[in-house]
Amino acid sequence: MNLLLVGLSHKSAPVEIRERYSVAEGQLQGIDEKLVRDTVCSEGALISTCNRTELLIVSDDAVAASERAHWFLNHDIGDGSADNHNLYELRDAEAAKHLFRVAASLDSMVLGEAQILGQLKGAHRAALAARSCGPLLNRLFERAFRTAKRVRSETGLGASQVSVARVGVQLAEEVFENFADKRVLLIGAGEMAESALHGLHHAGADDVRVLNRTRRTAEQLAARLRAEVGDFGDLESELARADIAVASVSVERPLLGQAELERCMRGRAGRPLLLIDLGVPRCLDPDANRVDDVYLYDLDDLDEIAARGRARRSAASAPAEAIVGTEVTRYEQWRAGLDAVPVIRELRARAHALALEEVQRGVRHFPDSPEIREALARLAEGIANKLVHRALERLRAEAEEGSAPYFADAAREIFGLQEEDE
Amino acid sequence: MTEILHELAAALYLGSAAAGGWSVWKGTGAHWVPRLLALGALVHAIGFVSLHREQPPIPLESFPAALSLMGWLIAVAYLLSMRFARIQAVAAWVGLAAGLFTTIAWFELLVGPQTVRSVAGSGAWSHAHVLLSALGFSFLALASLAGLGYLAKERALKHKRGVGESLPSLESLDRMEHFTLALGFPLLTLGVATGFVWGIDQGLSPWSWHSNLLLFAWAVYLLPVGLRVVRQQHGEKPARSVVLGFLLLASSYIGIRLIGGAA
Repeated sequence: MNLLLVGLSHKSAPVEIRERYSVAEGQLQGIDEKLVRDTVCSEGALISTCNRTELLIVSDDAVAASERAHWFLNHDIGDGSADNHNLYELRDAEAAKHLFRVAASLDSMVLGEAQILGQLKGAHRAALAARSCGPLLNRLFERAFRTAKRVRSETGLGASQVSVARVGVQLAEEVFENFADKRVLLIGAGEMAESALHGLHHAGADDVRVLNRTRRTAEQLAARLRAEVGDFGDLESELARADIAVASVSVERPLLGQAELERCMRGRAGRPLLLIDLGVPRCLDPDANRVDDVYLYDLDDLDEIAARGRARRSAASAPAEAIVGTEVTRYEQWRAGLDAVPVIRELRARAHALALEEVQRGVRHFPDSPEIREALARLAEGIANKLVHRALERLRAEAEEGSAPYFADAAREIFGLQEEDE
Repeated sequence: MTEILHELAAALYLGSAAAGGWSVWKGTGAHWVPRLLALGALVHAIGFVSLHREQPPIPLESFPAALSLMGWLIAVAYLLSMRFARIQAVAAWVGLAAGLFTTIAWFELLVGPQTVRSVAGSGAWSHAHVLLSALGFSFLALASLAGLGYLAKERALKHKRGVGESLPSLESLDRMEHFTLALGFPLLTLGVATGFVWGIDQGLSPWSWHSNLLLFAWAVYLLPVGLRVVRQQHGEKPARSVVLGFLLLASSYIGIRLIGGAA
């Protein structure tokens, strides 16, 4: 079985391309279902976050799976605008290592951010619901979550959780001296927006208004965070009164462009407006940055700011990388063990069949009683299990060491499994 | 003694500027840069006391003394402004400005007469004119520094470059510019007015070319003041006009000096 990962991320593609390959969380299951309808892919899962869109595929045919993954990414998910420089492909141990690094937030814009783990769990849930997540991917995800947990608890990487949204707060401090008298507008009530609000609250912002297409969601968030709720239809007028706006809504086209922002800025007498666009696809037209006194930053811009702070956190990333390495080795050992599974199954089935055969032959010498028949069956099965137990254990152990093919052939030869198959 | 104190103050100012530049270059903290500036201002103040003991009263009408006073006032005005806005990050700029003023004054002393001399017609009006003008000029110099900082920061934020991170926030620079303009412009107005009275007192025409030049520079400041006070304008436009106003004001002072008129 081959494990393949094909995708693009903030490290390989700019946001203009990433937003064309972005998939909303609600659509993941449908895509996962479609993925495994293809005979090439025995298992599959799509991961789509603000910063990455990646396909995980398990297949017997690595070459066909690679072609299929590229085609699927460019035709069923994206619009084909990503070229070979934007897409990367990783296999087996490298693919597992990449996923573990992503889960541990070592591949994030901001080292140690916590949101990525929730997004991976969402991708895993969607794949399970789509029944596209088999034993190999299931184990891979579980190991990835375990790695993330270890990194968080055993290294300093998670000690001061920093999110992309908090980098936005750092950016706001470049524009404003304090936040006590500033109005903050949250456009969208998702996890990113909530994280941003926490950061701004911590920095002293009290006057917060939440706008969301679903007013009830906005009210729930506002109630939790002592904010007020505005009408999504009044976006322009709300923006005209705001000092900082954090946009994180799912959109197909930008909500506001240059012309709308110019209208918003009239009558502000040069008061700056900081716009932080956390959406992929972007919620605000990049041309809005051309408007006087408007400072628009999208995720790529935040990435650059985060990159400057990344060096400071790199000391904690070394032990985290070591944990990832250990976990990748364990996962690969487990995956290698899978090569012995067919032989183990065959051997166990052969032993049980022989035991049953002997019971049926021997039961004729005893009175016809169901109790006696059952006791004899249990006895024979127990002896058979004990006889093959050590062989099975050895097979598993050798498989984890990478010697599965040799020992599997030996087991087939010794127990006559090959002849049986033939 | 006065000259040594003067040199030391200039060295401390320029040292604070260099230290600020170094901290920006290395990305280290620069909390001690304002302290260095404050030390320079203290040494400078002692220098003025020493000058007063040597030649009482201080001949403020002389160009080197007035220039040196402006350097000191820039440092003091900045240190006072720090109470109202988070502007520690511009300490290096202020150190550079104060250091240059003080160094030029020292250079003037070296190339000119060995001691600071009084000019004809010195008296209450002339002292008031020089003091008020120097104070106004110092605050307006700070306003222009804040305006320049605002424009640099604004540009860095617009173009998403990291160079602006070494400057205070836009809001801090805007507040500093507002505060120093609000103090500097009335002081300059009084300085210009007392200068006219002094001129008339000396039997000079109030409409001489350098008076007109000063008046023009003063009038240019009406633009940022109008934008700030009447239209409550913030941001880029007042910043530009404050920088432009100071350039004209400085040019007029330098022009007067080069052609030989008294400040």
